[in-house]
Amino acid sequence: MSEPIPALSIRNLRKTFVEPAVDNLSLTIRPGEFYALLGPNGAGKTTTLRMVAGLLTPDSGDIAITGIDVGEHPVEAKRVLAWVPDEPMIYDKLTPVEYLEFVAGLWSMDGDVARAKADVLIDSLALTRHADERCQGFSKGMKQKVALAGALIHDPKLIILDEPLTGLDARSARQVKEILRHLVSTGVTVIMTTHILEVAERMADRIGVIAKGRLIAEGTLDELRRDAGGAGSSLEDIFLTLVEEPTDQARTMLDDDEAA
Amino acid sequence: MTRRSSFARFAHHELRLAWRDWTALMSGGLRIRNRVIVMAVALFILLLHAVAVGVLASDQPLTLDNNKALLVTLSASILLSFTMMISQALESVTRAFYARDDLDLILSSPAPARHLFAVRIAAMSVTTAAMSALLVAPFVNVAALLHGPHWLAAYLLVFALAMVATGIAVGLTLAMFRMFGAKRTRLVAQIVAAVVGASFLIGIQVVAILSYGSMSRFSVLSSTDLVDAAPGPGSLVWLPAYAAMGHVGASLLIFSISAAFFAVVVSYASLRFGEHVVAALSIPQERRSQRRERKAFRQMTTQRALIHKEWMLLRRDPWLASQSLMQVLYLIPPALMLWMRYGSDTDIHVILAPVLVMATGQLAGGLAWLAISGEDAPDLVATAPVTPRALLWAKVVSVLSVVVAIAAPMVLALAFVSVVGAFVTFAGVILAATCALVIQLWFRAQAKRTNFRRRQVASRMSTFLEAFASILSAATTGLVAAGTWAAVFPGVLLAIVMLIAWLVSPREKRKRRSPRRSAPPVSAHALS
Repeated sequence: MSEPIPALSIRNLRKTFVEPAVDNLSLTIRPGEFYALLGPNGAGKTTTLRMVAGLLTPDSGDIAITGIDVGEHPVEAKRVLAWVPDEPMIYDKLTPVEYLEFVAGLWSMDGDVARAKADVLIDSLALTRHADERCQGFSKGMKQKVALAGALIHDPKLIILDEPLTGLDARSARQVKEILRHLVSTGVTVIMTTHILEVAERMADRIGVIAKGRLIAEGTLDELRRDAGGAGSSLEDIFLTLVEEPTDQARTMLDDDEAA
Repeated sequence: MTRRSSFARFAHHELRLAWRDWTALMSGGLRIRNRVIVMAVALFILLLHAVAVGVLASDQPLTLDNNKALLVTLSASILLSFTMMISQALESVTRAFYARDDLDLILSSPAPARHLFAVRIAAMSVTTAAMSALLVAPFVNVAALLHGPHWLAAYLLVFALAMVATGIAVGLTLAMFRMFGAKRTRLVAQIVAAVVGASFLIGIQVVAILSYGSMSRFSVLSSTDLVDAAPGPGSLVWLPAYAAMGHVGASLLIFSISAAFFAVVVSYASLRFGEHVVAALSIPQERRSQRRERKAFRQMTTQRALIHKEWMLLRRDPWLASQSLMQVLYLIPPALMLWMRYGSDTDIHVILAPVLVMATGQLAGGLAWLAISGEDAPDLVATAPVTPRALLWAKVVSVLSVVVAIAAPMVLALAFVSVVGAFVTFAGVILAATCALVIQLWFRAQAKRTNFRRRQVASRMSTFLEAFASILSAATTGLVAAGTWAAVFPGVLLAIVMLIAWLVSPREKRKRRSPRRSAPPVSAHALS
């Protein structure tokens, strides 16, 4: 049986600003996978994901979303992608319903279908009471939920979330996590960066650790534990071990995994 | 912190902030050493001094004695400067209430807030004076050099007017707080500032049109009717004019009265300022409901969605709309002239076309900034499944549609007088709007829509180029409307300005500098 087309395939990606931000990074994420991308501040996580979302042009390398080359067919690639930045970018003067109508327009969705989908999302994200209020008085958590609804309304196959739980209260964070789990169960691929390692530990199928623009470790929690931690060690222990010494040991570990 | 040191520290803090604001304004956000900025400004001032020498070099003594016509013109100029100062001071006061990031820190500190507010009001007055002094200084200095040191007394008038203007602005804002409440004061104050700033110029122009059938303000100021009706040279009305001409007694009198007025305002307002600032910062966020019924979403293309969004955001933000549409105020005189001369003057489009083009060019610049740089969700728009070209086109259409909607009534009215004239005017409007749009595209830098008032700070260069482009578009249109080949000259100059804009635009410079080592992703957005 042939391998399914990866939800995201990155090959030898490079991006340099003043110094290299992403350095020869390769990554493959399977359809329906929940992938957590971890790394210290300035490691290159957001730059990588912004290149995937078409918000930055790579210096070199290839990116394919569900087999669609982002460089060659950006519009087709964007059709199946949703991007949720860490700072919710919404319009203060629009209501959540109007925002969703605007997003549906950007993706040229059918009006009736979009309306029905918007109602479901508004209900599931507990925004019903505020659906017709302008977003300008909303808390960061509520804005984040509106942005998430906007990302989901056009049924993307790949969702990229940059620090989606920052600033959310416990209830909102749980709602978002439940929605993401549900999406993964329906075959949607989710890539998420987070500094909350516990969330990655609990939710991710696979975890990638990035430092200085390079992928220094990747695998399931057990695989990471086996390679870098030891029995019973937490993701936090593993992460700190890896990022404090992202050197030969980590490279060897990654090479061993790839060879296997 | 002692009583004395808190004043000194706040003054130092304000001075540093004002200096950094000013250098940012002058450098357009580029990394330029302070020394270079100071040298550039000094060079500019020296140049103005050379101009002043050309204007003031004369063997005849400069005097106002029994020269009522000169008194009228000079007084009108002072009044014009004064209205501008009030407008500027109103802006500063509003900003101090609503937009200073340090207010939380200062109000929660044990330092007496009224000291800060007293210093802040004084700083506003100094800033207002400094802006005017910068322009009049060359003339005062040259006059002092050529015609006697008593001319230096004119500086006192500048500072006196700035104190009175700031005092009036503070008083007006406090009164507005009482009348309209904290929530509406910002909008009302911004409108009042713009109307006050424009009222004198527009007022004289309206009088000129109604009385003399001309749009020239000088036709009013130099009219014998006005000069004859004006009070005699000994009247107190001319005191500011005498002070401006270096009359030491008049200068000292005006300065003393102004300083006393200012001291009263500062001592009262510094006590009240704190409570009003707290009120302004405590405005509950609006929770306005738009509609309740569940309707199907409109079927929209990407382009239509973007245009619809731009219109809706503009409509829902009265402050932003008032700022953008303020340019429309300057269309009142030409509209009045069109109405007055309707049917009797077939060449009226020659006069009106440049005014209309100039105003719409400025309007388009503001709207283009909102649509292109002031996009609040750039990532969302950039990740939509459309080509950058289609996105760009949607933004262009959304701006042009507003400009056309505003210019259309006057262009249509012109068409009844001269179809060709209306066509030329319309072409000029589109030309000016397109130039403004293109400059905004070349110089775009992501910013919050709420920074609209301070958008010039991001790029002083783009502001100048945009203004030049508007002026040259207006000149070209006017000369084409007049049917003269001389239109080629401003047309060529316009092309040169656009070429310069393209060459100096940050994106073009970056491309030339290094195709591989791009800048950090701060300005990456929808149209990249």
